[in-house]
Amino acid sequence: MGRSYLGEFEELVLLTVAVLEGTAYGVTIAAELKQRMNNRLISLSGVHIALYRLEEKGFVVSELGGATSERGGRRKRFFRITALGKRTLAEMRQVRNELWDAIPNPSFS
Amino acid sequence: MEKQPTPPRWADRFLGWFLPSELYEELLGDLHEQFGFQAEELGVQQAHWMYFFEVIRFCRPYFLKRRFRTDTKYSTSYTYSPAMIRNYFKIAFRNLLKHKSYSVVNIMGLAIGLAAAILMLLYVKDDLSYDKFHSQSPHIYRIVSDWYHPDGSLGHRDGLSSNLQGPLFKEKIPEIKEFVRYSSGFRDIRAKGDVKSFEMIYTDSNFFSVFDFPLLMGNPKTALTKPNSVVISEEMALTFFNSTEVVGKTLEISSNNQFSPYQITGVAKKSPQNSSIKFDFLLPKFVNPEETVGSEWWLNFSFHTFVLLTPNANVENVVRKMKQINETDAAQANKILVDKYEIKDKVVFNLQPLQDIHLSTDLPAQYGLVDANNPTYGYILSAIALFILLIACINFVNLTVARSLKRAKEIGVRKVVGSSRKQLVGQFLGESFLLSLIAFVFAILLVQLILPTFNLFANKSLSISYLFDAQILLGYALIFILTSFLAGLYPAIVLSGYSPVKALYKQMAFSGKNYLQKLLIVVQFGLASLLILVTLSFYAQFNFLISKDLGYDDSHTIVVEKWDLTKRTAEVLKEELLKNPNILQVAPKNGEHWEDVGKINGNQKIQFGLGIIDEEFLPLYKIPLVEGRNFSKDFPADSAQSVIVNQTFVKAANWTHPLGQVISYPFNDGRKLKIVGVIKDYHYQALNNKIKPQLFVMQSTGFGSLNVKIKPNTEIKALAYIEKTFKKLFPINAFAYKFKDLENQKQYESEEKWKKILLLGAFLTIFISCIGLFGLATLSTEQRTKEVGIRKVLGASAASITALLSQDFIKVVALSFMVSFPIAYYSVSEWLQNYPYRIEIGVIDFVLTALITIMVALATVSFQTIKASLMNPVKSLKSE
Repeated sequence: MGRSYLGEFEELVLLTVAVLEGTAYGVTIAAELKQRMNNRLISLSGVHIALYRLEEKGFVVSELGGATSERGGRRKRFFRITALGKRTLAEMRQVRNELWDAIPNPSFS
Repeated sequence: MEKQPTPPRWADRFLGWFLPSELYEELLGDLHEQFGFQAEELGVQQAHWMYFFEVIRFCRPYFLKRRFRTDTKYSTSYTYSPAMIRNYFKIAFRNLLKHKSYSVVNIMGLAIGLAAAILMLLYVKDDLSYDKFHSQSPHIYRIVSDWYHPDGSLGHRDGLSSNLQGPLFKEKIPEIKEFVRYSSGFRDIRAKGDVKSFEMIYTDSNFFSVFDFPLLMGNPKTALTKPNSVVISEEMALTFFNSTEVVGKTLEISSNNQFSPYQITGVAKKSPQNSSIKFDFLLPKFVNPEETVGSEWWLNFSFHTFVLLTPNANVENVVRKMKQINETDAAQANKILVDKYEIKDKVVFNLQPLQDIHLSTDLPAQYGLVDANNPTYGYILSAIALFILLIACINFVNLTVARSLKRAKEIGVRKVVGSSRKQLVGQFLGESFLLSLIAFVFAILLVQLILPTFNLFANKSLSISYLFDAQILLGYALIFILTSFLAGLYPAIVLSGYSPVKALYKQMAFSGKNYLQKLLIVVQFGLASLLILVTLSFYAQFNFLISKDLGYDDSHTIVVEKWDLTKRTAEVLKEELLKNPNILQVAPKNGEHWEDVGKINGNQKIQFGLGIIDEEFLPLYKIPLVEGRNFSKDFPADSAQSVIVNQTFVKAANWTHPLGQVISYPFNDGRKLKIVGVIKDYHYQALNNKIKPQLFVMQSTGFGSLNVKIKPNTEIKALAYIEKTFKKLFPINAFAYKFKDLENQKQYESEEKWKKILLLGAFLTIFISCIGLFGLATLSTEQRTKEVGIRKVLGASAASITALLSQDFIKVVALSFMVSFPIAYYSVSEWLQNYPYRIEIGVIDFVLTALITIMVALATVSFQTIKASLMNPVKSLKSE
C-alpha cells in the first residue's frame, strides 16, 4: 500500500472536514461529529491531534483565519481537504463498497 | 452588557505552559468557543467541569513532542526564527555604527574593565596555584614550631626546624612516610678563572621522590646520595657548559675555603613558575653524627623539614604525637634551653601544609623558599579590578538607558507589531552580550599588551595561556556572563517596559529627576576619588619612607660582604684599602640582623640588635653620640668591657644615667660590660620596622662585612681598587658588594611596585568614569539643544550656558566625595597602621583629590557643553 495509514477516527475527521467545506475548524468539526454520531463523546484534543496528523500526512491543509471579536480575539485555524485526501477517501470507499458487494448473503444488514 | 462566563484562568495558564506556543492561540480559542456553547447549553457549572476534563485530555504526549520540535509547519515563534535573529543582529550592528562615539565609549570601557578582571583572575589563580603541581602536594607539610610564653599565650611562630625532628618523628609516627630537609646557603663556584657566588640548596636524597622536579638527565633516585655530587638546573648547565648533557662532568665548588670538584649527577628542568622551591644547585645534605636528640642540636632551628604524610593521615593526630615526642624524647634538650639560654617559652611542633606557605604571613616562604606573597596584595588587586569592572558596567547601564530615548520609537514599533516583553528583553540582553563579546576580544588583546608591564610591577611571570585549564576558562566565562548581565539586565528591563503608545505618540522623556543615573555617577566617582586618595596617600607615605632622614649618612658607601672576615685580616684589608686616595674610611661590622638577649639592672631581660664594630664605624656613618664617647684606641680596655647603646635601649632599660650601667649577655659568656656611650637612634632597618634597642661592642674575633666610604664620583675607580685588593687577599672568595644607599632604597621595592599598580588603577577608574560621563554629557546636551537655542536667543552668554550644562554633573560628582571621603579616610588610616613611621593624612590630600576629580570631570563634560553653548541658535531651533 503506497499511501499512509488512515485510522478510523482520522477518517471520520477527514470526512467531516470535507462535509464542512471551508468552515472546518476544531469546534465545528467536533460539534458536527458529535451531532452525527449520536452524542458520542468527542474531545477537542482528539480532534485536533487527528487534524494535525492529517495535515502532516498531506490530507488536509490549514490556514489561520483573521482575528474576530469572538473568543477573545483568538484566531481560528481552518482546514481544507486536499486532492490527496479526496482521492484517499474515494479509494477507501471503493474498497468498502467492493467488500460489501462481495458479502455472499447480504440479508444480515 | 451581560458578563460572559469565562473558563478558569489557571487552566489556561497551565495549557500555555504545556501546549506548543504556535498552537496555543487556536486551541485556546476553540476551547473557549466550545465552553461558550456548553455554558449556554448545560449551565456554567457543568461547562466548568467539561472544560476541566477537556484540559486534562489535552495532556497528550503529542503536544509535548511537538513543543520540542523545531520544524513544525506553522511556526510563528518569532524569537527563534532565523529571520528575526538576523534582524536583531542587523539592528544591533546598525545601532553600533550609527552611534560610533557611544559604541566606542561602551566597548572601550567594558574592555578595560574586563581586562582588569582577567588580570586579577590570572594573578589570584597564580597565587593559589603555588606548590600544587607536586603530585603528592596535599600530603606534604612543613614542620614548624609555635613558641608559647609561660603564661600560655602564643609568642612567635617559626618555620624552621633542626636536623633532628624529621628523622625522629618519622621513626616514631607511622603516618609520616618520608621527610626531606631543606636549607640554602651561598657557595662559590670557580669556572674559567672566575669566582662567583651562587645560592645552593642542601637537601636529602629523597628530595625527588617527595617533590615533582623532573630531571632531564640523571637518575633522581641516586642523584643526591654521594658526597660531592650536585644536581644543577638546565639554565646553569647552559651557562657553564653550553649543553645540558653534562652528567658526569665536574664543577669546582668552594667548601671550607678551598675549591673541590663536585660531580654533576643530574640536570633538572627549570623549576615551575609557581613553586616556592626554586633551585639552581642541589647538594646532598650530610648531618654531623654528633647531633643527637638529647643535645642542644635539637633546637638548632636552621632548616626546613618537609614531611610526607600517608594519604589518610589525620593531621591533628600527627601534631599531637609530635608534641608528645618532643616532651618525652627531647626533654633533655628542652631543659638545656631553659638552663643555658634561660628561654622559658615552650616549643610545640606543628605542621603547615606546603600549599599554605606561599601566602602565609606568619610562616612565610623565606630562608631558601622563594616568592612569598602577602595575600593583602591579592585583595587590593581584586578590589581595584572589581572597581574598574563595576564602573565600566555602570557606564554601560547609564549610557544605554540614556540613549534608549532614541530607540523608544523602535521599541514602540516592535511592540505594536506584536513583540512580547520577553522578546524585547532578549533582544537587549543579546545586544549587551554582543557588546561584551566584542569588548572581551579587545580585553584579551589588551591583557596581552599590558601583561609584560604588569608582570614587572607585580613580580610575576604570567601569560594569558598560563594555567589555562577548565577552571580559568570557567572564570573567564563567568566574568563575561556576569558583565553582560550586570550591564544589560537593567536597561533591558527598562527599555522593554516602555508603553508603545507613549513611545510613538509623543517624544519620550524621563519623568522625574532620574535618580538612578545620578546614583550610579555618585558610585563611579566615589570609587574613583577613593582610589585617587589612596594613591596620593600611598605616594606620600612612600616618599616619606625613602626621603626620611635615617639618622645616618648612607651616601658614597660600599658594603663588601665577607662572612668570615677575621679581626686580623680586616686590619690588613683596611690598611691596603686606605692606601688609595679615593677611599676615605673603612669600618668592619658583623653581619646584619644579629639579635641577642642580655641582662640589665640585675635580672631584667632585654632583647637587642647586636652590632660588632670598631672605632671607625660610627664616624663613617656620621651617627651622632648624645652622651659619653665612641670606642677609641686610647682606651685599650674598650675591646674587652665597653659597649655603646642607642637611645631606645636606654629608654627600654629605664635609665636616667645610662653611662656606667652594666650589661651581660650569653653570647659574651655572661661577662659584664659597661656602657660608655649612647648614640642617637638611627634607622638601621627598613622603616617598616620600629627602631629597637641596639648594642654595639668592639670585642670580637670576626666580622661579616666591610663598610667603605669613598670620595664622591669615584665609584668606578674605587670599586675596581677594592675588588683588586680583595682578590689579592682572598683569591678564593667571591667579591660581593652593594652600595648602601641603593640597598636602602631597595627595601621599598614592593612599595614601589604597588605604588605603580595603584597609580594605574586610579588612572583607569577615573578614565573609565570620565568616558562614561562624556557619553552622558553628549546625550544630555543633545536633548537640550532646543533649550540652549532659546536661551541664546533670549540673550544668555556662552559662558553661562556652559556653566548651566556642566553644573548638573559637577554637583553629582561633588556629592560622591561625601560618600568616598569617610571610607577613604578610614581605609588609609588603617593601612598606615602597618608603618611605625608614617605620615599624617592631611586635609590637603582630600582637597587635592577633590580638585583633581572635579577638574577631570569638568574637562570631560566641558568638551560637550562648550560645543553646545557655541552652537548657532538658528540651526538648533530650525532643526526638527
